[in-house]
Amino acid sequence: MLKRLEERIDCTLRKGLILTGFLCLLVLCLSALTVCFESEAAGAETPSKLLGDESDGSRAHPTHLIPLVAENEDGEQGGKIYPDDDPLLPFSTRWTCGECHSYGIISKGWHFSAADPNISPGRPGQPWILADARTGTQIPLSYRSWPGTFKPEQLGLSSRAFVKLFGRHTPGGGAGELETEDMDEIMREYVSGKLEINCLSCHNAEFAHNQGESFLQIARGNFRWASAATCEFASVSGSAADMPDTYDPFMPEPPEDAKKVPPTIKYRETAFDHENKVNFNIVREVSDNRCYFCHSNLYLEAEDTEKWNMDEDIHLAAGLKCVDCHRNGIDHSIIRGYEGESSASANHLAAASSCEGCHLGEKDSSSPVAGRLGAPVPEHRGIPVVHFERMTCTACHSGPWPANKTILTKTSRAHRLGTIGVNKSHEALPHINSPVFAEQENGKIAPHKMVWPAFWGIIKDQDVTPIDFEVVKETVGQVLANEKLPVSGDWPALSDENVTEALKSLKGTVEGEPVYVSGGKIYSLDDSGELWQEEHKAAEPYLWPIGHNVRPAAQSLGIRYCTDCHSTDEPFFFGDVAVDSPVVTGRGTKKMVEFQDVDPSYARAFAFSFVFRPMMKIVCLCSCAIIAVVLLLYALKALACVVKVLAGSD
Amino acid sequence: MFQKISIIAFLVTLACIVLHRIVVPSNKRLPGNSTSDRLSIIGMLRILVYLAVLFCFVVLAITGFYPTLILGKHITGYLVMVHATFAPVFAVCLAVLAVMWARRWRFTGGDWPLFERIVRWATLANNPDGYTFHKSSVLGKKISFWLIIFLALPLILSIVLSMLPLFGTHWQEILLSMHGYTALVFTMVAILHTYFIIRT
Repeated sequence: MLKRLEERIDCTLRKGLILTGFLCLLVLCLSALTVCFESEAAGAETPSKLLGDESDGSRAHPTHLIPLVAENEDGEQGGKIYPDDDPLLPFSTRWTCGECHSYGIISKGWHFSAADPNISPGRPGQPWILADARTGTQIPLSYRSWPGTFKPEQLGLSSRAFVKLFGRHTPGGGAGELETEDMDEIMREYVSGKLEINCLSCHNAEFAHNQGESFLQIARGNFRWASAATCEFASVSGSAADMPDTYDPFMPEPPEDAKKVPPTIKYRETAFDHENKVNFNIVREVSDNRCYFCHSNLYLEAEDTEKWNMDEDIHLAAGLKCVDCHRNGIDHSIIRGYEGESSASANHLAAASSCEGCHLGEKDSSSPVAGRLGAPVPEHRGIPVVHFERMTCTACHSGPWPANKTILTKTSRAHRLGTIGVNKSHEALPHINSPVFAEQENGKIAPHKMVWPAFWGIIKDQDVTPIDFEVVKETVGQVLANEKLPVSGDWPALSDENVTEALKSLKGTVEGEPVYVSGGKIYSLDDSGELWQEEHKAAEPYLWPIGHNVRPAAQSLGIRYCTDCHSTDEPFFFGDVAVDSPVVTGRGTKKMVEFQDVDPSYARAFAFSFVFRPMMKIVCLCSCAIIAVVLLLYALKALACVVKVLAGSD
Repeated sequence: MFQKISIIAFLVTLACIVLHRIVVPSNKRLPGNSTSDRLSIIGMLRILVYLAVLFCFVVLAITGFYPTLILGKHITGYLVMVHATFAPVFAVCLAVLAVMWARRWRFTGGDWPLFERIVRWATLANNPDGYTFHKSSVLGKKISFWLIIFLALPLILSIVLSMLPLFGTHWQEILLSMHGYTALVFTMVAILHTYFIIRT
């Protein structure tokens, strides 16, 4: 009995031990797994620095003699490219440049992060403008949350469609690399590839670099080939857009239609050295020419708008380069250069690189920083300090000198300047007007470029959302098909009847109350089908500040006298701002002062008071002289009394 | 800062007036305010100038201090215009006031008994016959008058010079501060002066 009991206890103990051992083993394994995952996760958060992520301190340019690397069919790193490869693939910047520079970090940079909701949008900037004369559309778009702009998806534009329209003037990345769940899009993406960041857009110092090629390749759907096509030693032919969804660029079959050419790349034979490496002329300090491709402005002040008629920005004339102020590190968080940027930017030089940062220095800096890069410290003699509280530096120093009426302005990005087949007409859409001296969010008046949104939308609870652009093209485009489009690319002259018809056609197509937004108003049909219009917040113009060209001090506003601005006929307050609309009856002008949060009658009265300002100064100075004489006279008399008393003559 | 200092300064001025009113009984008419002046044209003109200065001062003080003290911001909008419109009138009136009233408010030996005694002690001079010492409110009026005239110079010049292309931003800020603080002292003195005038 006792023995049996001992055996049972032994058995139980043994089982317990086995169970405990098993549990311990399980815990050990789980711990090991957890540690393993954690270290992997930590590794993902803080990737190790690559060779080119951090400078060793040498200011010399490193030589970039490197092998070309392609992307494989899974979107991962492919093999090295050899000149005799078949098929010959375009090199991928992600895998070629990314060998030494952290592509993931760079892709968070300002130029590539528009579609990243985690990146602060900062001060409103230039939007992309979808313009279509046929449908009377001109709408500012941006992936950034800038008030007044619309997200591309609101118009039914997929990231791919967006890139096809606007990728031409981007250095790639951003929307070009967005993931999609749409099967059709995924299939097309396999054929055309993603639009990678094109490092060469900015950093290729070769004169033969052709950024305009990017426009062609994107238009042909050759996203994968776009970067390589811009560089000096590669040429791309064919079109991915012509290829069927089943086309495999990694194992290409000849297309059924012999007229259609698949995308093909050729590398210059001499580009490869004996080790099949290629020399890239890469520079850290990007040349102004590269910036100009996307950031050129053409102010259509006169008929003759050739470049030689205009001066460059004073900073460039003084020998600086764009990147002397617009700096960034490996994170490509480039300085935009506006006041207060430091609160939105990760770039620690943001505050020091604004106008004030260089010319006045940071107030809380421990060492003197004013005059950086030879920036003159301005005196602003005779300018009351209220000007610096109510106006940005650019108000007096940047953009074209204000004229009686705002002028049409073209920008690279809006008018695809610098690419093939540009409409050089002054009236070509979109219509951007400048300079508009308007109040910014921070309460300061600054010169702006302005675009009046014109689009077809649905109104609900006073909110207007744009209608899918494809629907608009089908319905409104059909209704307005007979309207004559000017060859200049200007608006067609739409009448109220045209708008009424288009709204009626939309009413049968879309859900909700269709409206047309244009020229600061919304047009809608009432219950009886009559057109009515009213000014509406949704129709307000979108403005973005002008930073350049900066004029020299001798050409700044107010250099001659206060009446450069404070006069009843000066454009700063009383210039006409064109109200742009395809609807003929909706066109007109507004006064500049209406955009400045200033009472127009006060502005006029104040400006008028400057007629008497010189007289006032003289009167005051004369009064002071008389008072001084009286004081002097009686002071002398007092002195005479004292002298008398002290002399004892009493 | 300026807002706080201004409020304290005005409260102190008010307290001084109340204290003076309690401690010093009201004076009877004193020499220097002869009735014959009121009858002559010059006399009437003098009073008119005084009233004009007072009116302009009130307008300028209200338009100048209201935004700073009550709204806590710089003078702006229509207030600037009113301020700038009355400022030159005020300057002219002050100049005329200085010319017309300087002799009336000049200091005499009897204005400051203590000073008089010190001078006489130092010079061993005798007190001339029939010399009477004035009471404190007359002295107050005279001091405040000359302070007003004296302060008018930095008050006007600080703002007029800032309108000329002479001074840079740093000095513009200094001049603007100077205008504010001078205006504050000027206002205090002007209030006291008005009080003394009313009191006698």
